[in-house]
Amino acid sequence: MASTTHASKDSRISFGMAYLAAAARRVPGLRASASLLIADGLFAIGFAAGLAGALSRIAAGAPASAITWLALALACAALRGAGALLAARVGARCAGVVKLGLRRRVVAAALGRSGGVRASDDLGGTLLSLAVDEVEAVDGYVARFLPARRAATVTPLVVLAVVAVASPICAFLLALTFVPFVVLMALAGMASAAQSQRQFAALARLSGLFVDRLRALPVVLAFRAEGRETRRLADASLEVAERTVQVLRAAFLSSAVLEFFSALCVALVAVYAGFNLLGLLPFHVPEKLDLGRAFFVLALAPEFYAPMRRLAAAYHDRSAAQAAAERLHAFEQSDGAASPVAVAAPSGSRRLHAPTVRFENVTVRYAGDASDVVSHLSFSLRAGQTLAILGPSGSGKTTLLRLLLGMAPLSSGRVWVDSTPLDERRGIAARAAWIGQAPLMTRGSLRSNLLLAAPDASPQALLDAIERVGLGPTIARRPGGLDANIDERGSGLSGGERRRIALARALLKPSSVWLLDEPTTHLDDASELALIATIARVRAGRTLLIATHSERLAALADVVIRLGESQ
Amino acid sequence: MTGALDRLLARVGQPEKRRLRGAAACAALLGVATVALLGVSGWFIAAAAGAGAAGALAAGAFNYMLPSAAIRLGAIARTGARYGERLLGHQVALMTMARVRPLLFAALARMAPARALSVTAGQAAAVLVQDVQAIEMRLAQRTAAWGAAAATMAGVSLAAVAGWAPALSTALVALALGLGGRALATRSRSTAIVLRQATGQLKDHLAFLAAAQVELRCHALEGWAADTIAEASMALDAAQRRHAAVLGFFDVLQALATGLAATVGIWLALAAGAPLAALAGLSAAMAIEGMAPWLRALAHRGGASEAAHRLDDLLEAAETTAADAAASSPALPTIALSAFGGVCLREGERVAIVGPSGCGKTTLVETLVGLRACATGVASIGGRDVAAGSVAAQRACFAWLPQDCALITGTVRDNLRLARDDVDELTMWRVLRDAALADRVRTLPQGLDTWLGADGARLSGGERRRLALARAYLSDAPWLLLDEPTVGLDPVTEAAVLDALEARLADTGQGLIVVTHRASLVARCDRTLSFAVSQAESLASLAA
Repeated sequence: MASTTHASKDSRISFGMAYLAAAARRVPGLRASASLLIADGLFAIGFAAGLAGALSRIAAGAPASAITWLALALACAALRGAGALLAARVGARCAGVVKLGLRRRVVAAALGRSGGVRASDDLGGTLLSLAVDEVEAVDGYVARFLPARRAATVTPLVVLAVVAVASPICAFLLALTFVPFVVLMALAGMASAAQSQRQFAALARLSGLFVDRLRALPVVLAFRAEGRETRRLADASLEVAERTVQVLRAAFLSSAVLEFFSALCVALVAVYAGFNLLGLLPFHVPEKLDLGRAFFVLALAPEFYAPMRRLAAAYHDRSAAQAAAERLHAFEQSDGAASPVAVAAPSGSRRLHAPTVRFENVTVRYAGDASDVVSHLSFSLRAGQTLAILGPSGSGKTTLLRLLLGMAPLSSGRVWVDSTPLDERRGIAARAAWIGQAPLMTRGSLRSNLLLAAPDASPQALLDAIERVGLGPTIARRPGGLDANIDERGSGLSGGERRRIALARALLKPSSVWLLDEPTTHLDDASELALIATIARVRAGRTLLIATHSERLAALADVVIRLGESQ
Repeated sequence: MTGALDRLLARVGQPEKRRLRGAAACAALLGVATVALLGVSGWFIAAAAGAGAAGALAAGAFNYMLPSAAIRLGAIARTGARYGERLLGHQVALMTMARVRPLLFAALARMAPARALSVTAGQAAAVLVQDVQAIEMRLAQRTAAWGAAAATMAGVSLAAVAGWAPALSTALVALALGLGGRALATRSRSTAIVLRQATGQLKDHLAFLAAAQVELRCHALEGWAADTIAEASMALDAAQRRHAAVLGFFDVLQALATGLAATVGIWLALAAGAPLAALAGLSAAMAIEGMAPWLRALAHRGGASEAAHRLDDLLEAAETTAADAAASSPALPTIALSAFGGVCLREGERVAIVGPSGCGKTTLVETLVGLRACATGVASIGGRDVAAGSVAAQRACFAWLPQDCALITGTVRDNLRLARDDVDELTMWRVLRDAALADRVRTLPQGLDTWLGADGARLSGGERRRLALARAYLSDAPWLLLDEPTVGLDPVTEAAVLDALEARLADTGQGLIVVTHRASLVARCDRTLSFAVSQAESLASLAA
């Protein structure tokens, strides 16, 4: 059991990384970013050459000519800086492109979901954390890690080659350190992984405690458990800190190894070159160094392991991106998530023909729930009739409406719309209009809000719709009339006015089925009566399904269903 | 002017003083070793070249032991110091913040509930946790300043061997780098703020569209929604690129300073000969390299100062909250409410609160439990006005089942012990039986000690509600305050729960205030208070 879960975790990880790599591959400019980092290595070589040249001129007794070499060194240093700045910019631009693409995919998958996700489930929260935070985690991987990885495979070889030109023995010494370096890094990596594994379970449980107790503050206060929970938090926090230090002890070993080999290179080269210059080497070597070459090699020695150090600094970005990619990939593959199917507008007169709706023994149960939201419901609605679904909150009224749009799972039973079975992915979204408690408002003018679903509607149709739903006085009252600006919260509009806007949208969109979700909630008596009268007036020729708890609204209906107690 | 956060950090950082000194010492050693390693190496090579060129006798007389030993020592010291600095530095930071977290929690519990809940609900809690992490990172990088100072001093000292001019130039370049770094840090802080705002706007936009998902589906507006999100996304992208560009300038500064220090050092030491010029040049360069960690810490400091401000505000608000009045339970826990025409609830009564959703029923419940501020005259318990009395005494009157169940991350036992810490197993099984959950808990792999995950993830919706109900049963408060106790339960289980509830009420003599829409439950109550829109408005207008 444990091995299969381990194997599936591995395959999940590799899917995640493959997903990320695929997203990153298509981005132009990653090669440029890596090239800039490699160029940095070349400028470092120039810098070392400049310093070495200047010193050999001084040693040769011609200090004045050292100035040109120093100028070369300074120029290379400045170019290094410019190169680093450019690399950062290019890296950020590439990362931006990748992130935009990933975000688009996540949002499309989320918005295009079909059934299975309960209405109250926090799609908003999941979407926020996925589309913003998890996508952000990918930034360092693309901007820093990928170019650093490519540079780390090229730059050391270039440095080695240049060193070999100046002193083959030194190049040999540098290359010699490579094998023990790899071995020690592997060992350090394994020790670190083992320690991480050991602490993982406990850390996973305890680290979330702080944020959990913060969110649970209301209930902690209500049960007067502040003292107890503070003590529990104190113990848990200390334990987390101690365990994390254990992990860090092992994790910092890899960076210590890197640091050691970097310093070792310098020391080896310095001692060898010094002894060679003194002529005091205990064994015969085929080369005789001079100050210029020896100093050049010394100044270059730190650059051999510098790309690895840059890579190690970016390694944390890789692990963070890996975890994020796993989650993004899992979300895209989860049930229900889908790229939105292009909605084919139904042709011609079919749109305006109000359909019959028949439910046969319909049961709806969300995945993971113990009980059905709706069970064995049957009714039949003729064309142009109005259905009222009554029942207390939580009894499934909204679920039935969402079922018709493909946003709730049909666990058993059948739904017929005009003698064709309901399309479980999109339902009747193409020919339906939704009037809910909180109609969508967007930043823009009243006109753009009204025309949101039907941008091609003629001005006459717009005025007609406004007249019929009774929005005339509202528009006359606002400065600017139809072109008055509204923000996303729809401020300045009352609840009743916003629902009338939704009604107008329903009129403008060629729709034959209207789904109304508690349209008179939160309205005072007078507004409720007025809205009910309006609905009665404009519903002609359409099949309506209204979910409500208001008996007065239900009085409009031809068929009434009561959910909850009677099931 | 030290803020509340700094005072707190100073207080809890006391036990870590020795480790902090160790970390600072390691940082200083790292700086010195970095400079010494390359500086002495440069001098060694240049001097060896001179001695070698002067002939075998000079070469033989050359003291190579000391410099080569110094080089080897420098290499080892650098490695050890780096490991020590990182480990000790992180240890100090982790242990310090581990003590800060519970104190922060206690402060939040002390302050006015409205303020505390605004920073701990939902997304805000994640922001608070990130703030604490930002302070932790800032603490871990504290020793970078020591390393920079030590490296600069070592570089200046070694360069001084070649003359006062190279020493002075090294010091000046280091100073210029410091000033430039600080100026850039201010700039990076402002780009970081813009970045945060753009992130917040994108999140708001996403939340808003996610809430309207049904309408988007219906009107085939998913494409339009995706386009508006893409726009907000691009605004965020622009802010990020600007921030990355500013961070890139730190690298420019570093590279320029290194180059300048090395070249000017050598130039000013021209007259002193090659070995001393080499010493001066490389020491100066390594001194600037030793400042790199400090510069990096500056670059990423932007977020930490904002975080520090927010935490400062919170801690100060907690300090200035008046201590709760002496908590003694009211003699007779009768409740009088000014809404509903001044109704009075006697102890032991069973009251149902009904009404359409969103009308303020939950607001009333939260006011009774002391989670919302309340104006005088709205409610009184045991004759004492809610606005004036002790909050602790008020909360002691109610055993609350919240609408969203609000389970904590942990085991079944952890959740039950929230209500009463010293409860024994027998009592726990009794309340689980009363909540019709005992059989389910027996089927769990570790029974009462099964890890339920975040918000009771292992249980279904109905089971979570029953666990929260069992938790409420454990408290021996005079009133049971239940908000929708039977939502998500099938009829059989619901009947069992309600029967057990009635038996319990008869047994303990507790009163019951229940918000529900289930007719069967309303039928079992003595009286019903009906919320209408007008009620909510009047309640809202009276609330503080």
